[in-house]
Amino acid sequence: MLEKLYEFKQMHDQCGVMLCFSGYLSQELMTGIGETLRNKLKQEEDSNVVLKVFAIFVEHAQNIIRYSAEQLVSKNEDQTLGGGILVIGKEEGHYYVSCGNSIQNNKIPDLNEQLTKLQKMSKEELKQYYKEQRRKETPQDSKGAGLGFIELARKSEKPFEFSFDFINEQFSFFSIKTLL
Amino acid sequence: MNNLDIPATSQTPVVCFNEETQTLSIVGECYPENISKFSSPIFSWLNSYLECLEEQVVFTVNIELIYFNSSSSKMLLDLFDRLETAVSEQQKNIVVNWIYDPENESALEYGEEFKEDLNDLTFNLVEKEI
Repeated sequence: MLEKLYEFKQMHDQCGVMLCFSGYLSQELMTGIGETLRNKLKQEEDSNVVLKVFAIFVEHAQNIIRYSAEQLVSKNEDQTLGGGILVIGKEEGHYYVSCGNSIQNNKIPDLNEQLTKLQKMSKEELKQYYKEQRRKETPQDSKGAGLGFIELARKSEKPFEFSFDFINEQFSFFSIKTLL
Repeated sequence: MNNLDIPATSQTPVVCFNEETQTLSIVGECYPENISKFSSPIFSWLNSYLECLEEQVVFTVNIELIYFNSSSSKMLLDLFDRLETAVSEQQKNIVVNWIYDPENESALEYGEEFKEDLNDLTFNLVEKEI
């Protein structure tokens, strides 16, 4: 890995990466990374941009913690850790947040359908859909309110992009990118 | 009446009740790992408080949130729904003040979206004085 490290860094620079995290993410760790991100952004951007990037970062990070197929429950507390990768950067003058985690293959059809539906919605449709979903009871398997992706679609300047890469019979790697 | 005083953390707002002014304040940021764990003491307190609240007393709820995540948004709507039920079914006197920083573009927008979803609850959008 030592020989590859500089290559790794160069690749990050080419992609405009400001901050990258790979591994098991916890809420606590997310809060720390979030603070670093805000402090860094505050030096160059106005408070609305800072808050917007941070908001997108939190929704993505909490998705990894909650829904990654790689899950660990820490011993001392009831804290969940989710495995994944989270990248915040800037390309062509726009901030982006990309995140990826493994998911079970049987979850792909529903997720694919849900995200494709959101991709096609206008801002006004997204607003109505958000309000509709917010009124509903929280789904049983949801640790949040199931509103995260809608919020991401609303905050994203262009429709978000996503993909699934086959890992094996059981799992695939889910990637999603939000552009501000 | 038990008092409510939940200190802020890096991921949750301060939640406190001032008995003298009958005001509940929620101030800070809200994006905890588990929203129901955070909100359940607030709702238990609120249910017993509303039970005893006399009709002539005005209960004020001041909300000033810089940032909240999507699960917290659902929790806030549940809170407003609970207050609205107390107004429409039990004739309680409740005022919600959504305090927003005019420089924070989303804060007013979020407040307006809540307001659109409520009918009987007095929901004021209040610009924060700087």
